[in-house]
Amino acid sequence: MSTIHLQNLVKHFGPFTALKTMDLTIADGEFVALLGPSGCGKSTTMNMIAGMERPSEGRILFDGRDMAGVPMGRRGVGFVFQNYAIFTHLTVRQNLAYGLRATRRPVDEVNRRVSAMADLLQLTTMLDRPSAGLSVNILQRVAIGRSAVMEPSIFLLDEPLSNVDAAFRTVMRTELKALQRQFRQTMVYVTHDQLEAMTMADRIAVMDHGVLQQVGTPLEIYNDPANLFVARFIGSPGMNLLQGQPVETATGLALDLGPLGQTPPLSEPQVAALRQAQADVVYGFRPELVALVPEGQGMAMPITFVERIGARTILHLGQGSASAKVVLENDAGLQTGQVLHFAPLPHAIRLFEAASGIALKGA
Amino acid sequence: MKDDGAKLGFRLTLPAQVLVLFISVFPLLMQLYISLTDWSPLAGTSWTQAWAMWNTFANYTDLIYDQRLWSALGRTALVIGVCVPVEFLLGLGLATLFMDDFPGKRAAYSILIMPMMVVPAVAGYMFFMLFQSGGPINDILSNLIGHPITVAWLSDPNLALLAVMVADIWQWTPLMFLILLAGLAGVPEDQIKAATLLGAGPVQRFVTIVLPRMKTIIGIALAIRVIECFKIFDTLFIMTGGGPGVATETISVYIYKIATQDLIWGYVAAIALAILIVLSIACVWALKRMART
Repeated sequence: MSTIHLQNLVKHFGPFTALKTMDLTIADGEFVALLGPSGCGKSTTMNMIAGMERPSEGRILFDGRDMAGVPMGRRGVGFVFQNYAIFTHLTVRQNLAYGLRATRRPVDEVNRRVSAMADLLQLTTMLDRPSAGLSVNILQRVAIGRSAVMEPSIFLLDEPLSNVDAAFRTVMRTELKALQRQFRQTMVYVTHDQLEAMTMADRIAVMDHGVLQQVGTPLEIYNDPANLFVARFIGSPGMNLLQGQPVETATGLALDLGPLGQTPPLSEPQVAALRQAQADVVYGFRPELVALVPEGQGMAMPITFVERIGARTILHLGQGSASAKVVLENDAGLQTGQVLHFAPLPHAIRLFEAASGIALKGA
Repeated sequence: MKDDGAKLGFRLTLPAQVLVLFISVFPLLMQLYISLTDWSPLAGTSWTQAWAMWNTFANYTDLIYDQRLWSALGRTALVIGVCVPVEFLLGLGLATLFMDDFPGKRAAYSILIMPMMVVPAVAGYMFFMLFQSGGPINDILSNLIGHPITVAWLSDPNLALLAVMVADIWQWTPLMFLILLAGLAGVPEDQIKAATLLGAGPVQRFVTIVLPRMKTIIGIALAIRVIECFKIFDTLFIMTGGGPGVATETISVYIYKIATQDLIWGYVAAIALAILIVLSIACVWALKRMART
């Protein structure tokens, strides 16, 4: 059990800056996902927490204790590697016992803790099997068990599901979350898969280009992205973002979206935020949160592509340089070339400052 | 259809098979045949007439009582027993060193593997000069100790074999180093990190992760060097010629001498065949053991 404080953490690799001033506090027992595209600095952050990399600047504190100079073997950190790094020349039992033996625990304690861990992870029947050639889901449990048996206060997982096929990933997501509840350890989970982050994490830290973009619960991040990157990155498809200029209309302040026409009048807090910002804005709304409207109301865009994925249909819309997507549960036989008349649900509209990409507060 | 294809393939490769059979089997059969006779080039008859000097297994019984053969074998075993472990430990140490970066690594690497490229006869000549009583090794030792040293390395029966072993270690540690470096590089870095994170120290990591992962490659490296060391000849022959007396007479030198000086070819064939059989059995046993683990 441990809290993790990252303070002004910076990491350079030669001239390349992998991480720019990261500040993050992870509470005791919390499951935090570091989410971002590859190269965003999430693995670097994790490796620094584990002690595999040394920060160029800044501090890492575990329970208020500075970890600088504490070697990785002494940090009390459990680490599950992307490829699990199972010692394939050893049996499952030897793998599980490795850390306890390396730290010279008494034999009966090693046996007791290994068999308890094997029980918990349902590995008892395979304890004496050679670990080479075991299936991925078993290897993953061995990898987790091998770290968990040391009772680390912090558990770090580096994309543990990226080598697993899609069907199994669903099973393992549930399994991992259940395990975390059992261990009640602070967990940091690196992934580029938003679904994993959304389903498992208590909080998600979205990163891009070495910069922490937003930290929040999965729903906060989905509903109120802090900036354009998060808006685009979270959700599949991501949020629709259309360039707009404020215009006064008879019914109130709206946005002129160029060839797409005008948006419906904005809500009061949005108007207030807009008046304060005094700038070009980006009009954002989730593709799922859209209503179809009669012709003449709302926005009109031609359908350029229809993507039917069973339960839902994703309509790709495009006009000039503007494009958007709309997700419908029932597409009612819409075809490419038809013009879709739609309006974002009023509560789903988000505004961003065009120049900085930052979300307008209260909007 | 499949059978026909196999038959056709067999027929098409028949000439090559016969050739290979002839090349590999014929010399062996001939050796077996000669080894059962007293045939010698001095007899003045062709090898096809060797049956006239048939002695059944007399050569093989002689071999058992041949003191010179056994001491040559013992000397060879001593060379293997000293050179291979020393080369292995030096090679492993150097390979471990080269896994980390240090300034001048590339240059050091090139220099280190150079001895391997030297023709063994040339290496023999180099060490022949180095170990002369007025040579550089005595000079260096003299300077280190402070009073003149004039050890006649190569003509002292107690030191000659040591000098030969030094030359062998100089020449073949690089091979060991190269093979073991490849083996070390093949140990996945994640595993080392995982072991470190689980609290294992450097020695524990080496013993529990690195060595077991290198088991096969270590086996191969040792096997190559044992076999090569068993056949040690060129370097040694130029340095000492097997002398002084028989002080550095290894099995190859012994065979060379009785083949070219005593000219008892039937006996030479018997020794060669006996060694081949023993080595083959040892090899098969070692390979089977390696396959099992």
